[in-house]
Amino acid sequence: MAENDVKYTLDIKDLEVQFKTVDGVVRAVNGIDLSIEKGKTLGLVGETGAGKTTTALSILRLVPDPPGEITGGTITLEGKDLFAFSEKEMETIRGSQVSMIFQDPMTSLNPVMTVGDQIAEVIQLHEKIDQKGALEKAKAMLEMVGIPGNRSTEYPHQFSGGMKQRVIIAMALVCNPHLLIADEPTTALDVTIQAQVLDLMQKLREKYGTSMLMITHDLGIVAEVCDDVSIMYAGRIVEHGTLEDIFESTSHPYTEGLFGSLPNIENRQEQLKPIPGLMPDPTDLPSGCTFHPRCKYCKDICKSRVPAVTRLSDTHLVACLAYEEGTGVTLGGDGNE
Amino acid sequence: MENKKAKKRSMAMEVCQRLAKNKMAMLGLAILIVLVLCAVFADVIADYETKVVAQNIANRLKGPSAEHWFGTDEFGRDIFARIIHGSRVSLVVGLISVSVSLIAGGCLGAFAGFYGGKIDNVIMRVMDIFLAVPSTLLAMTIVAALGSSLINVMLAIGISGIPNYARIVRAAVMSVKDQEFVESSRAIGASSMTTIFREIIPNCMAPIIVQVTLSVASAILSTASLSFIGLGVQPPDPEWGAMLSGGRNFLRDAVHLTLFPGLAIVITILALNLLGDGLRDALDPRLKQ
Amino acid sequence: MSDVLLDVRNLKKYFNTPNGVLHAVDDVTFTLERGKTLGVVGESGCGKSTTGRAILRLHEPTSGEVFFEGKDVTKVSNQEMRHLRSQMQIIFQDPFASLNPRKTVSEIIGEPLRLYKVHKNKKEQQEHVLELMELVGLSERLVNTYPHELDGGRRQRIGIARALAMRPKFIVCDEPVSALDVSIQAQILNLLKQLQHDLGLTYIFITHDLSVVNYFSDEIMVMYLGKVVEHASSEKLFEHPTHPYTKALLSAIPVPKLGEKKKRILLKGEITSPIDPKPGCRFAPRCEYAKPECFERTPELKENEPGHFVACHFSGEF
Repeated sequence: MAENDVKYTLDIKDLEVQFKTVDGVVRAVNGIDLSIEKGKTLGLVGETGAGKTTTALSILRLVPDPPGEITGGTITLEGKDLFAFSEKEMETIRGSQVSMIFQDPMTSLNPVMTVGDQIAEVIQLHEKIDQKGALEKAKAMLEMVGIPGNRSTEYPHQFSGGMKQRVIIAMALVCNPHLLIADEPTTALDVTIQAQVLDLMQKLREKYGTSMLMITHDLGIVAEVCDDVSIMYAGRIVEHGTLEDIFESTSHPYTEGLFGSLPNIENRQEQLKPIPGLMPDPTDLPSGCTFHPRCKYCKDICKSRVPAVTRLSDTHLVACLAYEEGTGVTLGGDGNE
Repeated sequence: MENKKAKKRSMAMEVCQRLAKNKMAMLGLAILIVLVLCAVFADVIADYETKVVAQNIANRLKGPSAEHWFGTDEFGRDIFARIIHGSRVSLVVGLISVSVSLIAGGCLGAFAGFYGGKIDNVIMRVMDIFLAVPSTLLAMTIVAALGSSLINVMLAIGISGIPNYARIVRAAVMSVKDQEFVESSRAIGASSMTTIFREIIPNCMAPIIVQVTLSVASAILSTASLSFIGLGVQPPDPEWGAMLSGGRNFLRDAVHLTLFPGLAIVITILALNLLGDGLRDALDPRLKQ
Repeated sequence: MSDVLLDVRNLKKYFNTPNGVLHAVDDVTFTLERGKTLGVVGESGCGKSTTGRAILRLHEPTSGEVFFEGKDVTKVSNQEMRHLRSQMQIIFQDPFASLNPRKTVSEIIGEPLRLYKVHKNKKEQQEHVLELMELVGLSERLVNTYPHELDGGRRQRIGIARALAMRPKFIVCDEPVSALDVSIQAQILNLLKQLQHDLGLTYIFITHDLSVVNYFSDEIMVMYLGKVVEHASSEKLFEHPTHPYTKALLSAIPVPKLGEKKKRILLKGEITSPIDPKPGCRFAPRCEYAKPECFERTPELKENEPGHFVACHFSGEF
């Protein structure tokens, strides 16, 4: 068992997170398993409200409480149980062992501090180093992400969106974290800038051997930067596998729907096949398989029985009744409707 | 839930329903209704000639008793009766003068904020000139020029409140006018007036309502100051502010002379504030739970 | 025999800013046939949204002409413009900001009907609103809800229904799906295509998402810092991109397919803003092929081959 623990930078088992609001209990994350091998990148794909960001915040133990509460499961970071740490210990872990890049570069930086000071502050929080040394290190880090070191005395508003995101990446990587969580890091950026930033993240990650959890809704980005992929829907992982598993032998109807929703850039005549309906209300999740109201292959049994995880191969997992024996559910064709 | 949505419901009904759920707002509303009833039926409660204006020196400065609930003033008049009759003046002054400031100031502010540029500059500089003169002094000047009567007092107080409304409405309009739904209203061919009054103003209600509830209070107090220096309500007619300031000389010996008119003003303002807060929340469909 | 609905000539829109004159749209010329879709792509600040708004006179154009069915939109009186607005509509990007939060769905969709006094009484108008809701796939029970109670996809359907209320011939779609989730995005794109087919609509489709524009448009116009750099049919543009910027843009799209780790053209630097631009190609500072001439002379938009316009001095050479 011990060997296994070290193999994974992050190992999440059966995580459950709920938010207690006046409208009822929001079941944001409902028993998910995730693991990232050392140095690998896992893509967590899903739409708004799937519970991606909540999962990420749970890893940092930053789920706002109240109303949020981690109600079950374990998170193991490099073999150590995350929930056993005190709040004080957690503070030293955030930023040094795990760090996070947020979606919006415009609001993640403090507007009244120079970028150099902001990076130096992170260094000083986690290392015994004097102000001058920290600033030097901050400059070196800025150079690393392609920003001239002499701009370290400038304020965030003097940088463009892409540059700000570079600063944030510098800040996240400066203490050599073992795990980097990137929550839609390029969604707010233009395509050509996105290409630059993704390229940079890849290079730095390879250089430091950092593991990464890449949260995104863009399957194009996943294809370029990830090793493994987990597809999340309504707080559950519906399909997990390597890039090849997911892209070449797509198994879950939701994953299939996601691909069908994307315009094919090479064949413009091809019709889009969107998933009908909407994301379910997290306070009132459908019974059985949560995807059944939108699934074109839905059978009666899907409405009552929660699908278990079926192992299709060593790496490929799927949670759909069609892969369980004796359910009578079949995929393929155009389904029932 | 789903069925409820399908039901027809008018905007006004819905606002009332939401307001009804707010206990504090209902309390405010209840107090206001009582005050209005007092004002309307003042003559039934206490006769004007015999109780409110007739002096009775033998009875002066008596404390509260079964006969005179709130005691008597320095001329032996019943304070309870005077407060009841005074509510007529105070409520009307509050209502009319605030309407004057709200309509005039609101329109000026809305145009200034919406059109910007030169129109904005001209309107707001004029407002600045008004603001530079203390509002009581401004009101005094206006009343002095127009002659002292209750109507002129209301007008004067209303005019002196215009700049405040203009500033508040302008700021609110400017924060809303750049939002896309305003542009979309122009895109479907709405005129500027339609855009201002149907799209922008309903989204600026919160600060305006707060200002209204506050300025009703200050209008009542301004009337009192004007009455005190002889420009407002003329003695022996009762008015809360005038009673309050008239009772100052007897503060040490007969506290009830100031206490009861003061309480009347405080309760009115409190009621207006409670109702105003509730109304602000009820008018915003986003706050609905 | 082509049936030109919209003819835009030398459209310019400048904004005065404290730092100088911002050339948001600089000399944009194109024609659009009835029933077709023109995709306008580019990155933030390239002037694509301003172009759409200047055509509708939501921003008053600085100069240039916009002929809609032969009538110059920039010269008509306010009264006539009001009438024209019923023919020319816009769908906005942010389906939340573009709907008045204080109005119900039926009030929002009914607003244009009320403004143009289409119906004699409320009942008829309400029936029309319900028809429009059905047209865009909104269920009838949502008629009295407020926008904030609905999700992005449904809000965008409200925006579409409002745009369709006056039976317009032409609609500017300003990033209509950018704020939506992938599966909802596909629903809205299909809806817009269906409506175009059923109602014979003509679209200008503004977006930064190249895979969407390729799916949706007949022609594509690529803009950079207020200038059109390339304009061609969708097939041509994707098969033979000619302008260096178009090439870089196309190569930067992450493709959801494996085994196609194509060579990316990584542009150096970032987009600046076109404030008081110097003469010369605006893309030159980021262009890997830039020659001295590019910094001196502004390239004209030339027709390289029939229907394929490029603004580059050396477009034939690489």
